[in-house]
Amino acid sequence: MELTAPTRRRLFARFPLSPLLLTCAITGLGVWNLASASRNVQGSLWLSQLLWFAGGLAAVLLFALWDYRHLAWLAYPAYAVVILLLLAVAVHGRTIMGARRWLDVGPVHLQPSELAKLAVLLVLARHFHESPPPRRGLRLHQLLLPFALILLPVALVVKQPDLGTALIVAAVGLTLCVFAGIRRTTLVILALAGVTAAGGAWQHFLKGYQKRRIETFLNPAGDSLGAGYHAAQSIIAVGSGRVTGKGWGQGTQTQLSFLPEQHTDFIFSVWAEEHGFIACALLVLLYLALVLWALWVAGVARDRFGSYLAAGVAGLVAWHVFINIGMVSGLLPIVGVTLPLMSYGGSSLLTLLLAVGLVMNVQMRRFG
Amino acid sequence: MVETLPERTSARDFWPRLALFGALVGAAFLLLLGRLYRLQVTQGKEYYERSVNNFVKDQKIPADRGLLLDRRGTVLADSRPSYDLYLTPYFCGRKCDEVVGRLSAYLGLDGETQARVRERLAASRGLSRFQPFLVEVDIGRDAVDVFEARKTELDGVDLVPTPHRAYRLGTLAGHLLGYLSEVGPAELSALQAAGKDYHEGDYIGRRGVERAFEPYLRGVDGAERVAVDAKGRRLPGRTDLIPAADRIRLPRPGDNVVLSIDARLQKVAEESFPGKAGAVVALDPQTGFVLALVSHPELDGNLLTGRVTRAQLAALAADPYKPELFRPLQGQYHPGSTFKTVTALAGLRYHVITPASHTVCTGGYTLGRRRWRCWKDQGHGLVDLHRAIVHSCDTFFYWVGDRLGLDRIAAEARLLGLGNPTGIGLDTESPGVIPDEAWHDRVTPGGYQRGFALNAAIGQGDVNVTPLQLALAYAAVGNGGTLWRPQVVRRIEDPEGKTIQLFEPRIHAKLSIDPKDLAVVVDGLTGVVNEPGGTAYPHRLPDVVVAGKTGTAAVVAYGADLHAKLDYWRNDHGWFVAFAPAQDPQIAVAVLNEHAGHGGSAAAPTAMAVIQAFFEEKKQDQADPEPLPPPARPSHDDQAPPAPPGKKEVGAMPPRPPRRKAGAWALGKTGGRGAARVRRATPARRSASPGDPPLARTRLADRREPRWS
Repeated sequence: MELTAPTRRRLFARFPLSPLLLTCAITGLGVWNLASASRNVQGSLWLSQLLWFAGGLAAVLLFALWDYRHLAWLAYPAYAVVILLLLAVAVHGRTIMGARRWLDVGPVHLQPSELAKLAVLLVLARHFHESPPPRRGLRLHQLLLPFALILLPVALVVKQPDLGTALIVAAVGLTLCVFAGIRRTTLVILALAGVTAAGGAWQHFLKGYQKRRIETFLNPAGDSLGAGYHAAQSIIAVGSGRVTGKGWGQGTQTQLSFLPEQHTDFIFSVWAEEHGFIACALLVLLYLALVLWALWVAGVARDRFGSYLAAGVAGLVAWHVFINIGMVSGLLPIVGVTLPLMSYGGSSLLTLLLAVGLVMNVQMRRFG
Repeated sequence: MVETLPERTSARDFWPRLALFGALVGAAFLLLLGRLYRLQVTQGKEYYERSVNNFVKDQKIPADRGLLLDRRGTVLADSRPSYDLYLTPYFCGRKCDEVVGRLSAYLGLDGETQARVRERLAASRGLSRFQPFLVEVDIGRDAVDVFEARKTELDGVDLVPTPHRAYRLGTLAGHLLGYLSEVGPAELSALQAAGKDYHEGDYIGRRGVERAFEPYLRGVDGAERVAVDAKGRRLPGRTDLIPAADRIRLPRPGDNVVLSIDARLQKVAEESFPGKAGAVVALDPQTGFVLALVSHPELDGNLLTGRVTRAQLAALAADPYKPELFRPLQGQYHPGSTFKTVTALAGLRYHVITPASHTVCTGGYTLGRRRWRCWKDQGHGLVDLHRAIVHSCDTFFYWVGDRLGLDRIAAEARLLGLGNPTGIGLDTESPGVIPDEAWHDRVTPGGYQRGFALNAAIGQGDVNVTPLQLALAYAAVGNGGTLWRPQVVRRIEDPEGKTIQLFEPRIHAKLSIDPKDLAVVVDGLTGVVNEPGGTAYPHRLPDVVVAGKTGTAAVVAYGADLHAKLDYWRNDHGWFVAFAPAQDPQIAVAVLNEHAGHGGSAAAPTAMAVIQAFFEEKKQDQADPEPLPPPARPSHDDQAPPAPPGKKEVGAMPPRPPRRKAGAWALGKTGGRGAARVRRATPARRSASPGDPPLARTRLADRREPRWS
């Protein structure tokens, strides 16, 4: 279906400016923060992030012109492409710091695991749209296909190994399933199975360093210079920011390299150290606004497909923020999960911008 | 291509679960905010302090160790600027092997050091790669120049200026001064447990005054606060991170220790000592302060404090002349004839003899079926006490000893301080052995026999004393009966030279000896030196009346072959113990020359040279009381000029007054070789030789870790 000129004009009248500004605000703060975090590491990281941001923003605007409903048709092909990319990574991927996560595409290193988040979201939205769950919720056999769709990319990502991303993919997928509705008895059975599976995963799938992180989390005093060192330094950084922070570029933990991965996974420690509790609360509230907006869109979407998409993005952002800030502040064990729009990384930024664009797209077409 | 777009449906069904979803996210984010509040607001101050502690490191500024000065202010030991060579594995990276090779080529590292460095390089991983470690301590001036010229080829190599102990007069008084070495790991934990402020890499005094006065000499280290990054690297550009008031805490130098030793006299004593091994003690009989304390061979404090290799330490330990033994305190020797003074005093005290008692020496004394021989085979003829002392007649003293019994001899010896540690407070003293009847019953197979008293009467058998004990005993005889506790330190000064503690003479005991008895013995001792035929007559001094006694202590009991040529290790020990002037002594001297034969020729000349020098210096000091230069402290700053003018003189010896050529012993010949030869009443038993105290040794493997913490 082609859009006519008047509808397009109406479309722009409905363009959701506030969520766009919200996204720009968070990303802007992210670039500013990155400029401090990378001052004495690699000087121009923030510039590169800014370029990715500009590119991502352009892509989002272009994407807004195109009806999201076409995605329902594209869901399975897109899923297939992402799985192929993940397989390609497994075979040809670039290895950085012991993990094979990156695929060289021309000048950029692509991280297909980031795209997997969107692909799983799309394919589940389409599935639940086409075969709506019964009133009392999904039964076990009805969950087999969705679970298979989730597990395939999760398994490939775990193999890379990238526990954090795999966790997010699984969490977003499961959130969508729960959102679609699962029978109570089935939920109980799944919970029991989940606990058993977790035990099995501990035994067989987790790498030594991943186990150590979890052990350290459970007993942080046991090992303050080994695996616990990063967690301890991050907590010191966060706590030392106190109410108003040490000032931009003045964080000693950040500037003297006490923080691990300070421009990616631990970017929030930098923010917390240099700007303090008030700025942290502000940032958390901005994220909350973003999530609530996506949930609102899910409630007003013109079709179930759009609702599932918006709810899935809300879940994606919420899980990212919760796990990342949780681990940085010592609430959760350390897993490699980025902070949406703040962490350095093109693939991650692009994925999040696309996700936000998706929700905007759904919002714009809610009356169509 | 046909595609079906999703048809319009109502999302109203989702509203309840969306509300729940939103509530759950809200709750989760609230949990995050709660956690952040706790960390940043509730515990913020604590974490802030921890973040400051993270990057603030105290770098030690070592305190200057106090000086060791002689009684006239001559600097015996001070600190000089020097450089230690460090290597940081991270900064030489893959080229570490090459760098070590070049270091060895340019600076001549020995094989042992190279092996240790390579071992350390292989062992360093992770953060420890940023830890500089010590390659070589105290590299020479030339090596510093080579380093400066080749700096660019030596990645990761650093020179760290470190004050180094310098014993200005080389080995002079090496045992007395002692030396320093690094604290070992076990010792360190013990010190820290005792609340002492010692750290890895610190030096501590070993032996001698360095050890005994460690608490005064050490001082208090200062610290410089610097900012470091996570890897412990110093950030010179970030001084702004540390408040100016906290940046530096200056060290407090240690106190100076002023010895009672006279360096000139010490030098005379060492230079005039002719033997391979032995001891010289000179002390003030009116105060007990030691004037010179020689243990030959001396220890080299400069060697032992600095770069000493395992091989050198092994050589030191294996040296047959036992340079590690602090002979005046730790060497135990038969006193030989010098002990006859004790026997004489005992005889007079117990009225076994009077000054007029006499006996006939026919070359020996017969007890039961055995004969104890006098050193003079043809005999001394009629001898009274005076003649017996002057000619050192053994027969007379066998006779006295036989009538006294061992216990009364032992009591007199103990009264004079023999057989007990003197309490000088340096290192571990040997007590010596003064046997009595109970001792023999306990120790000797077959128990006490009468003949033991005869052996003891002439200072043989199981009698063992240290040279210091003997010097103090003779000082007591000379001064009218005051037994002093010997001391080597006169006073302690603060770094500005102000006296903070003055040591007064300490009396060990006032001896209850009849002055008349003392006068008789002193008269005899004066005769030894000043009467023709006296055993030390050839070595008398023209201006000073010296009283003394020779001794020739048999080391090995052997049969009738008295005059056989003996190899070094079986030869007798030569003794001479004296005080002067005889009537009002100002100096007491004991000289022991191991395995050198007769005391008259082997030991007396040294004692005489010391006494002569003492009085000459005294005369010169009275005529020209030369003001002493204030002790100067060398700077630790590596940029400092080599030495301000005038500084060098401080350490140099003040000009010594011309001394009589110490060749007298070459001329004189005392009454032939001959000594108390003892045929023992029981199978020959040697008193246990004193255990050699192990030299505190720096194990190279335990060498200092760098001072960055």
